Amino acid sequence: MSLRISSDFVPQFLAGMVVNFEIAAIALLIGLALGGLLGLARLSGGLLGGAATTLIGLMRAAPTFVVMFFLLNIIPADATLFGLPAAPSPLMTVALSLVPYSASYVADNGVEALKQMRAGSPLGALLFLPNVTRAFFVLVMSSSAGAAIGVTEGIAVILREAEQMPTLGDKLVLFGIGILCFGIALQAGFAIVRALQRHLGRLALRDRQG
Amino acid sequence: MRLVVRVAAMFAGMFLLIGAGARAETPDAALAKLIDDARREAATPGTCSQAGLDRLVRIFCDQKLRTGVREYYPLFGTREGQTRSGYDVDVARAVAKHLGVEPVFTRVNAASRIPLLADDKIDLTIATMGHNAQRDSQVRFIRPHYYQSETIIVGPKAVPVRDWRDIAGRTVCVTIGNNSNAQIVAHNARLMLFDEAGLLPDKLKDETCTLAAQDDSFFDYYFTEPGFADRFNRKFGFAQLPWGMAVALNGSDRLARALDLTSQIFHRDGVFLAIAKENRISTGFLEGQRQVWSSAACNTDKGTSDPACILPALNTTLEPTRYAKQVAEFEKWVEARTGIALQLPMFKTMPAWLLFKAGIINSLVLVAGALAATLAFSIALGAVQSSRSAVIRWPARGLVIVLQSSPVVLTLVIAAAVAQAFFAYSSAVAIGAAIVALGLMNGSNAGQAIAEAMHTLRTERGSASIPTLELLSRAVSRSATQIVSFLINAAKGTPIASFIGAPELLSALTDITSFASGRASTYSLLLIFYVVVVIVVVWLCGKLRDALERRQVVA
Repeated sequence: MSLRISSDFVPQFLAGMVVNFEIAAIALLIGLALGGLLGLARLSGGLLGGAATTLIGLMRAAPTFVVMFFLLNIIPADATLFGLPAAPSPLMTVALSLVPYSASYVADNGVEALKQMRAGSPLGALLFLPNVTRAFFVLVMSSSAGAAIGVTEGIAVILREAEQMPTLGDKLVLFGIGILCFGIALQAGFAIVRALQRHLGRLALRDRQG
Repeated sequence: MRLVVRVAAMFAGMFLLIGAGARAETPDAALAKLIDDARREAATPGTCSQAGLDRLVRIFCDQKLRTGVREYYPLFGTREGQTRSGYDVDVARAVAKHLGVEPVFTRVNAASRIPLLADDKIDLTIATMGHNAQRDSQVRFIRPHYYQSETIIVGPKAVPVRDWRDIAGRTVCVTIGNNSNAQIVAHNARLMLFDEAGLLPDKLKDETCTLAAQDDSFFDYYFTEPGFADRFNRKFGFAQLPWGMAVALNGSDRLARALDLTSQIFHRDGVFLAIAKENRISTGFLEGQRQVWSSAACNTDKGTSDPACILPALNTTLEPTRYAKQVAEFEKWVEARTGIALQLPMFKTMPAWLLFKAGIINSLVLVAGALAATLAFSIALGAVQSSRSAVIRWPARGLVIVLQSSPVVLTLVIAAAVAQAFFAYSSAVAIGAAIVALGLMNGSNAGQAIAEAMHTLRTERGSASIPTLELLSRAVSRSATQIVSFLINAAKGTPIASFIGAPELLSALTDITSFASGRASTYSLLLIFYVVVVIVVVWLCGKLRDALERRQVVA
């Protein structure tokens, strides 16, 4: 079997994967800001805490793919904010659709980290970092949903290339290359998470011994 | 005497009939008479200042034919400075010349071409206007139609699409509100929606879209660009829509009749065809019409009212539901009280309602199937990953790593591609493939948790003391939290099945909004539906987790 891949596939695919990381980074940054605020509001208790808990629950239940189409259709193309154009680009729409997940994840883990901190375990609180790193890689994988609305991310490039291939065998080889590339990125990410956890564990041990 | 009178009357009648028949035998003679009469009337002193004149007479009074044309529709109506060009513009010039008057142009667009006629700002509109049955109550369309567009599927030359059979399961880029979208949906294609047609060629060029559907009159312009024509071609056409010149409903009877006859003559004599060739637009329809109007049966002054010669208007009216009126009243009631322009198109027409109903049922089937598949795959993969045989264990672990490394969209596409290799594409196949893909993705993660629980149980309790099935059962109980978490994830992931054409609710509503209004309300409803479904799944999974954890305590 000779797999015929167009000459510009590899650079386009790599550029597409960069878009996946870009989307994940934006979603995580907004998620950290929003999730941090919601987490603090939840810890404050009372009416505000109740509202924050409800909102976090709803965000946790919102499917990313539906949120993406919701945002795409609810925000007019000529929307403005303070006189400036406010309609998000397709890439930004994907990133925003991942915010309910990232914000609720950050809020849940942030609350846990603050509880650990208050309980006198700063290292327990630091587990927040590997958890956020894990969320980042989940976001990278989820950002492939952008292919559905025309964002040229990694999977969109693969699917475009696959459209030109005549046999299922060729397509499966191409899909395998995609899985390998995303797999390497994901496993590298999880290796970072594990290394971070081990490092924190060692710090905890040294702390106890000291 | 009576007999003589009767015979004389009979001869007189025959003479009149023959005479009348001779006068109106050809469209040319009929038109010439109409024009002569109108000109004579216009030349009569005092006539032109009278109110309520038929527009044909007034055109001869003013010696002007006020025509509405488009200015930004390439190949049909464009304007650069004072120079107008395009098929519609040239048709207007030819009509005016045939009547012996000067054309005076007014810019119109899709929204203004009918109101300007009604307000008597123009006499005639020639502005890429499709003739559908709804518009018959707003304007008088000139028959025969002066052009016909159709929706065409355009894509790269290398992509093998010949007809509807090759469309199933593919994504087609379309513009929102296009009437032909419903037809594409009916052939199991997925839609990618865009607000403006102008975006489609760019999306084809940057390969965001593999296929795009739009009027051939729109793509005609792009096919004149060598770069575009080299890469893309027309795959096939459908949803033919006749275009009509139109005049106002009131006070235009004689003008409409004169234009009917003019249009008929232009078809017969190849005038339209020559203008189309000059403007490099598709000529297939005009060639067919030339044959029709050259035939003896149609080339008469009665031809324009003969159903065998003229084309019917396109009927785009969708069958309303039984409760469409009540839904419309409810929408008004909400708007009056809240200011929110709620629109519920899925309850107002039968095609939308059927899509909506099927979408909800398919979504629930998909959620139930994804939950069952996740549970089944998690137990199966948990068991094989815990096998004492390395030959079974390592391939299972390899499969789990592959599944964990594959982005969700890619896993779905692979499942769909494999399914289509074995079965012909259908909604059931797409739903089945999505269930398997979602089950494998989430089941692999949950299975890993079960395998880890098995490992800890073996470490704690010794290797041979517990039968494998019981150990697996305890491992399932121990990993309840993880299993529940991935079950919820599976339910949340079901809408993504629309990517491979599974007709669940997201897919159904996208299809509905492609030919109906109310996108904001529709997608808000969709979000609420899925959030409620996930909340119910979370609640049910909570019960399952409690049951599993209680069992673990008992064990």
